[in-house]
Amino acid sequence: MPMCSIRSGMKRNECGLLLVLACGVLFLGNVASAQIYLPAAPPEQPSDYGKVILDNSSSAGGPGAVVFDHWLHRSKFTCRLCHVDIGFAMQAKATGITAETNRRGFHCGACHDGKKLHGGRIIFASCSDAGKDERCARCHSLGKTGVRKYAYRSYTAKLPKGVYGVDWEAAEESGAIQPVDFLEGVSVKRTPLQSREDFSVKAHYSWVRDIGFSHKKHSVWNGCEVCHPDIFPTTKKGTIHYSMFLNIAGRYCGACHGKVAFPLNNCQRCHPYAPIWATRN
Amino acid sequence: MFKTEIITVLLFIGLAGLCGASAIRDPSPSAPQAAAAKEAWQKEFDEVCSKTQDAMTFSPEELAALIQRCDALLPQIEKLDDTRKKVYMGRLRMCRGLYAYVLDSKRNEKK
Repeated sequence: MPMCSIRSGMKRNECGLLLVLACGVLFLGNVASAQIYLPAAPPEQPSDYGKVILDNSSSAGGPGAVVFDHWLHRSKFTCRLCHVDIGFAMQAKATGITAETNRRGFHCGACHDGKKLHGGRIIFASCSDAGKDERCARCHSLGKTGVRKYAYRSYTAKLPKGVYGVDWEAAEESGAIQPVDFLEGVSVKRTPLQSREDFSVKAHYSWVRDIGFSHKKHSVWNGCEVCHPDIFPTTKKGTIHYSMFLNIAGRYCGACHGKVAFPLNNCQRCHPYAPIWATRN
Repeated sequence: MFKTEIITVLLFIGLAGLCGASAIRDPSPSAPQAAAAKEAWQKEFDEVCSKTQDAMTFSPEELAALIQRCDALLPQIEKLDDTRKKVYMGRLRMCRGLYAYVLDSKRNEKK
C-alpha cells in the first residue's frame, strides 16, 4: 500500500515534522472557527454605537433617512419608557413609525410634539408641517452635515467615561444624568420598583469568573418587563445554557449588550478579573 | 291674538317634551360618551398594568386574577385604530407576559 510505503520510507524526524504541521493546521482551523464566535469590535467611534438608521419610506422621494442616536436619548430617558410605554420595538422595522403616527402623538411624536418640556425646554415637534426643510433635517439627517443639534463629543464631555465611550452606569449613579421614566399621558403611574436581589451566574469556563448580575443596575433602566419574559423567558434554573455564542447572536444579554448597552467584548464588566480587553475606569 | 300666543307656547312646550322623550328613549352615543367609553378600557389598562413593579409581591391567585383582567382587555384594545392597537397590544402583551412569568416562577418555587 502506498501509505505503508510512505510510512516505511519516512525518517523519524520527518514524521515528527508532519505531526507538528498537522497540529498546526488543526490549531489554526480552531482559531479561525473561534473567530466567528468572538464578539465583533464595536464601531471605532463611540458616537456610532447604537446608531439606528430609520428608513421605512423616508428616502424614497422623502426627506431622507432618519439617524437615531441612542446616546442622546438614553442620557434623558430610560430604555423602558421608549421600549415599553411608547412602544418602540427592539427589532428593526417592527414599530411602524410614519410621519402620520408621529403627528398623531405616537412614536417620536409621543415626546416630540412641540409642547412637552424636558429640562425646561420645549421638545421640538416631529414631522410637523411648520418650518419644513430645516426642521426635518434635524432627524432626517443621513448623509447631511451640520444639521444635527448635538455632537457626541461636546454633549458627553462632562459625563464619566469608560474605556469605550460614556460609562452610563456611572453617569446614572453619580447623578450626572437622571433618565426620565414617566411620560404624562402615556405612562402608567407606578410605585417605585423594589429591586430584586443580585445573583451570580456560573461561568462554564475556568478562565473566567462567575458573572455577578445586578438586578438593581438593570432595573433602573428597564423595569421588569423589558427583560421578562421576552428576552429571558425561563423560570426554571438550569433549563437554558447561556453562552457567549448566543449572546453574540443577539440573544439574552446580547439583546442589548453589543448593540446599545456596553459591548460584549468588555469582558470585565460582567466577568470580574476576566482577561482584559478593556477595564472600567 | 291672545289665544294664538297661548297655542304657540303650548305647541313649543309640547315639541320640547317630545324631543326630551325621544332623547330618553333613544340615546344616541355622543362624542363625550364615546370618549368616556374609551377611557373605561384605558383606566382598566392603567390599573392593571400599574402593578408590574410589584409583581413579585403578589400571590399566585392575585397574579392569576391580573392575567384574567389583561385577557379581558384584549377584545377592547383590538377595536382601536391600527397604531393605537399596535402600541397598546404590545404594552398589554408585556404586562401580561410579566405576570405570567412571575406566576410560573412562583409555581416552580413550590415544586
